[in-house]
Amino acid sequence: MLRQKTPGGDLAIWIFIIAELLVFAIFFATYAFTRANHVEMFNNSQLTLDRNLALLNTLSLITSSYFAVRAVAAMREDKAQQCFNWLIAALLMGLVFLIVKFVEYNHHYSHGINMRTNLFYMFYFSLTFFHFMHVVMGMVILSANAFKTRAGNYTAQNYTGLETGTNYWHMVDIVWIILFPLIYVMR
Amino acid sequence: MQQKTTGIRPCTLVYLLLMLLTVLTWTVGVMGLNGLTVALLVLGLSLIKGHLIGDYYMGLKLVSGAWRWVIVAWLIIPGVFISAAFYISGGG
Repeated sequence: MLRQKTPGGDLAIWIFIIAELLVFAIFFATYAFTRANHVEMFNNSQLTLDRNLALLNTLSLITSSYFAVRAVAAMREDKAQQCFNWLIAALLMGLVFLIVKFVEYNHHYSHGINMRTNLFYMFYFSLTFFHFMHVVMGMVILSANAFKTRAGNYTAQNYTGLETGTNYWHMVDIVWIILFPLIYVMR
Repeated sequence: MQQKTTGIRPCTLVYLLLMLLTVLTWTVGVMGLNGLTVALLVLGLSLIKGHLIGDYYMGLKLVSGAWRWVIVAWLIIPGVFISAAFYISGGG
């Protein structure tokens, strides 16, 4: 089987993705080693999080990523309308993620829990909000992809911009896939 | 030049597997299972999920050379640090 020498999409986005992932890796390692010195406090605080909402969020992002894959596949067959529809579906799943996260944040704040409550919540709010902003950024990029698809800017021969956007979206998904067990499950 | 791409059927199977592994991880959480072994198992499942997304969704399966392993290489970094930290703390 012939293999490509470079991944799909613009190469610049991959440099950006690597940089973003390294920042998240530092955050994850810092969380884990800080937890090692405050195991009881981290475990007790973790119990106050809503794992059901976290599950819903994880399923939303995974589904959204899959829809983005379908969008690229549709464009590969020159089916711009289908591609657009899949992108809108991916965006809607992204919106579900944002709404659920907002509900979670609102619940904590209404119970007087914030970043200053303890070290665990400091990490919880910073890590998840940093990721939240990446979801927002990913949705802006996917929206631009959808707009350009609608405008006929992509074809089966040229859809690099679309792959660039969806690869960023998959990166956002990968980060959450590590974040979910680390913050909500592992104890 | 367009890239070679993974077919939809494998991506759909990966999607179903990702959903299944996610529900499995959530089940571990709601059952209150803890300890070093459980934590590392859950982390391992997540690293596999990340690898599947890199390979199938980002298309790295069809890329040669260093780029092929860029997501795997990244997954190893937090994987090692998180494992080490949980090992030090004894898991639960």
